[in-house]
Amino acid sequence: MTCYVSSGCEGVKMSPSLFNFVDARDKFTASARHSLVGKSSKPLVSVFNQFPGNEVEKKTTLDQALRGVLGDQIRKATCDEYLSLIYLSIDAVTEGICSPTTPFLLLGDVLDCLPLDQCDKIFSFVEENVSTWKSNSFYTAGKNYLLRMCNDLLRRLSKSQNTVFCGRIQLFLARLFPLSEKSGLNLQSQFNLENVTVFNKNEQESTFGQKVKKGRWERRMLLHRGNSIPIDYNLYRKFWTLQDYFRNPVQCYDKFSWMTFLKFSEETLAVFKSYKLDDMQVSKRKLEELRASGGEHVYFAKFLTSEKLMDLQLSDSNFRRHILLQYLILFQYLKGQVKFKSSGCVLNDDQTTWIEETTKLVFQLLKEIPPDGDKFATMVEHILNTEENWNDWKNEGCSSFVKERYDDKPKRPTRKRQAPEDFLGKGPDSKIFMGNDELTRLWNLNHDNMEACKSDSRSFMPSLDEFFAEAIEQADPTNMVEEEYKAVRNPNYGWRALRLLSRRSPHFFQPTNQKFKSLADYLDSMVSKLAKELPDIPSEEIKTGEEDDDDNGDNLLKDSNDSPGIQSKTVSNQQMDDIAAKLGAQWKTLASHLEMKAAELREIETDSEDIDMQAKLLLVAWQDREGSQATVESLVAALGAAGFSEIADNLSDNNSRR
Amino acid sequence: MFIIYIMFIINIIIYIYNKQLFFIICIILCLLYILYVYYIYYMYYNICLLYILRLLYILYNIICPPLFSLPPSPVVVVVVVVVVQLLHMSVFSQSFSPCGRFLAAGNNYGEIAVFSLSAALSPDATALSQKPVLRFPAHEGPVYSLLSTDCQLLSSGNGEISCWSWSELIKKVTSSLEIPEINSMSMNFRDNSLVFGGGDNNVHILDLEHGVFKSVLQGHTDYVHCVSVRDREAEILSGGEDGAVRMWDSRTGQSVHCIEVHKYESCARPQFGKWISCLTTDSDWMLCGGGPSLSLWHLRSLSPTSVFPLKGVQRQTTFYQDMILAVGEGPAVSHCLLGGEVKAQIPCTPQSLNTLQLNTSSTEHRVLTVGGSSDHIDVFTNLSYRTFSLSF
Repeated sequence: MTCYVSSGCEGVKMSPSLFNFVDARDKFTASARHSLVGKSSKPLVSVFNQFPGNEVEKKTTLDQALRGVLGDQIRKATCDEYLSLIYLSIDAVTEGICSPTTPFLLLGDVLDCLPLDQCDKIFSFVEENVSTWKSNSFYTAGKNYLLRMCNDLLRRLSKSQNTVFCGRIQLFLARLFPLSEKSGLNLQSQFNLENVTVFNKNEQESTFGQKVKKGRWERRMLLHRGNSIPIDYNLYRKFWTLQDYFRNPVQCYDKFSWMTFLKFSEETLAVFKSYKLDDMQVSKRKLEELRASGGEHVYFAKFLTSEKLMDLQLSDSNFRRHILLQYLILFQYLKGQVKFKSSGCVLNDDQTTWIEETTKLVFQLLKEIPPDGDKFATMVEHILNTEENWNDWKNEGCSSFVKERYDDKPKRPTRKRQAPEDFLGKGPDSKIFMGNDELTRLWNLNHDNMEACKSDSRSFMPSLDEFFAEAIEQADPTNMVEEEYKAVRNPNYGWRALRLLSRRSPHFFQPTNQKFKSLADYLDSMVSKLAKELPDIPSEEIKTGEEDDDDNGDNLLKDSNDSPGIQSKTVSNQQMDDIAAKLGAQWKTLASHLEMKAAELREIETDSEDIDMQAKLLLVAWQDREGSQATVESLVAALGAAGFSEIADNLSDNNSRR
Repeated sequence: MFIIYIMFIINIIIYIYNKQLFFIICIILCLLYILYVYYIYYMYYNICLLYILRLLYILYNIICPPLFSLPPSPVVVVVVVVVVQLLHMSVFSQSFSPCGRFLAAGNNYGEIAVFSLSAALSPDATALSQKPVLRFPAHEGPVYSLLSTDCQLLSSGNGEISCWSWSELIKKVTSSLEIPEINSMSMNFRDNSLVFGGGDNNVHILDLEHGVFKSVLQGHTDYVHCVSVRDREAEILSGGEDGAVRMWDSRTGQSVHCIEVHKYESCARPQFGKWISCLTTDSDWMLCGGGPSLSLWHLRSLSPTSVFPLKGVQRQTTFYQDMILAVGEGPAVSHCLLGGEVKAQIPCTPQSLNTLQLNTSSTEHRVLTVGGSSDHIDVFTNLSYRTFSLSF
């Protein structure tokens, strides 16, 4: 970092034009040659560090120099020399004196220029250094170069001749790239439809015919020998037609092709079932085979489909294993959940049962094939099971395996914290023991307390129509309920009504221009609104229930008021006459206790000359003012305060007697 | 109507000579018959006003008369006869032609069918090539035995031996004999004589050069099932119902040895009886089986060397390379090793097998054919699985 900064300063000081590219390149080239001879990157590093100039510029110059050295080497040098140059470049990258792409460029150049047999050697070097390429400094820079290089090589190689080399390249790519690398995956689960197995479909194209065309000598030979063995053309054709289904399993979902597949498979499997291979024959043949191939396993990329080979193939245990395995693979595809299968690709019941039966049969046949048929069958079963996992992996979009490991780590602590709750709540009978039977019962009434509170049985709030039924009925003018007896006048009722409205009715929050004098007026208007909304007048039963409820509420209220004896009754006219007669001229003393104003008193005095009359007028005015509050007790209190305790006693006695 | 009936009768005659033609004509006649019925009833019910009723009548009369209303139609009779014949057919004997390209098979109805193996084995074989190219009646009773010589096909039935020329198969020379049920024939190629045995408990030797009986080998106490000729020793072997295998000197006509197989404990199967149904020789070895288990005998020591644990009665066996092939009860060809193990049992179509033949005269058509209680003759190109079936 510091180095970079200092070189940056230098770059600023000396203008870029001062960097002598040619000079630098020559120097680097010379030192690279020197290092190649000495097999050490030290001289190169020291030259690089001594040379003045921008770090980036020096790097590119060194890249150029190395490529130049390679250019000189090409045609003259041996593989080892190329490799030592590439080693040098790798060292240079690790020292940080050339760009990380350089080794890959050099490799690509070498492989492009060399013939295939030498490429082989170079490539074994590439294979050996997989770990280097996978290291952080190289991987991001070089993966694309390597891929391109490998693809170029593959293109040059023959698919039938250089199978081993091709395979090595593929293996290398598989090792280099992570498993989830999308470019190397068959994401869509497509089949290699080009892998067509060719065989003689009709007589004219038979291999005999072709051979006859070849030459007179061969023809004579053939005539001499004749068709040496009888050939079962029926089986031959059916047998090789099956390969087409293995090539493209989607065909099986077509009804017609499925029928053919079924027919041909049954015949083929019947032959396999009938034609048991005996151990002796196989072991003899295998010994010969081993002798012939020098112990190596013989492998063909394609099936040989000459009709003359049919008989031999049927008695070949390896061949039979191939075919039976193909069946199992096909069945696995047909049965399995593959994401990219179209929705129409579903087996019906008959097909499923047939596949199940045939799978059993195939395993049976695999077990019967010597040598080690049992072992082979169990291995195959195991491999196919693991294949299911791959299938799932693919269905889930080929998630990276490395990531999963990271995901696991943070999960662990959280799981620990949850453990006690799991232990308590999720036991076998999912009961929490509180140490006391009663507590345990209460605690376990419901698993979740919040849920228990939300249950329907705990909702006590009445519905709007239920609660307001009475008020609505009373509001109806035809029922002629007097104003003061209406439910809305009851403050208890009013309070509850407001609460209910705030929870249940949208009208409560609607702004309105009207100004209500009292709660009762407001409730009146709400009741009229509700009456319009609610469908009908509630039935009698509900009404009576409501009334009972209300009575109870009133009683409760009275009890809680704790004021027995005095009844709140308004003063009658008779009482007023009596009081007025007793008061006489002294009514003015009472007037001050009844909080009558002077203007009102003057009015009373001008209205009547009679003193009794004036007293009566006073009481009426008071009554008018107080309205429903003009009760006997308030009047008694006022009389007592004014010093007319005799009248007050009279009045209260009088009242209770009634 | 009369014409149709007459044509039916003619057709039955055709049936004897050519089955395929017969079937074609049968179908044509059926159609004619239906048309005729339709025509008759249409004319008759023309007066009927209700169209639908008339239609129903016509339909009813088309479907029903051949089965119920009219006396049984000759078509139905013939078809039923043919089907029943096919169901109850069993093949008793087979023989390949000297060239190896044809197979002759005789059934229990006294018919001989000739199949073309070259057609059936060719790449463009169809279902038709698995049918006989020729089919002709040979005997009154079943064809018990067939044998090919250089240019003739010999067939034996109840009391007669017929000789057919392979080149012109319809021509036959019959020699009527007083021997009932000639069960087995064998050629002695050294002096061109025919050895056969049958229901008169004797083995006869017929000189084919002069057409005279050279000798009669007497000794069996019950009828003879099988005969076999040992080429080198000029010995004739025969096995019969009495459970004995007798060896004869063909020159003197004397019984040299007599093996009573059922008396050997290892072979005896009292539940099946003592009779010997099959007998084959190969240099010093003899295979015989039947009531007793199939067993391999060493002829010099006259002792059983191996006994094969095959279920049921074996009807024919043969040596093939280092194996023994055997057929008998049960729908399978048994492959046995000389040591006495049963290597494989290859399934085939008939429920019980009577005869087995290996075509050794032509490598091109080297096949194994087996026939039994069915109209099918199974062909094996590879000994291990049934390739296809020829059928009568």
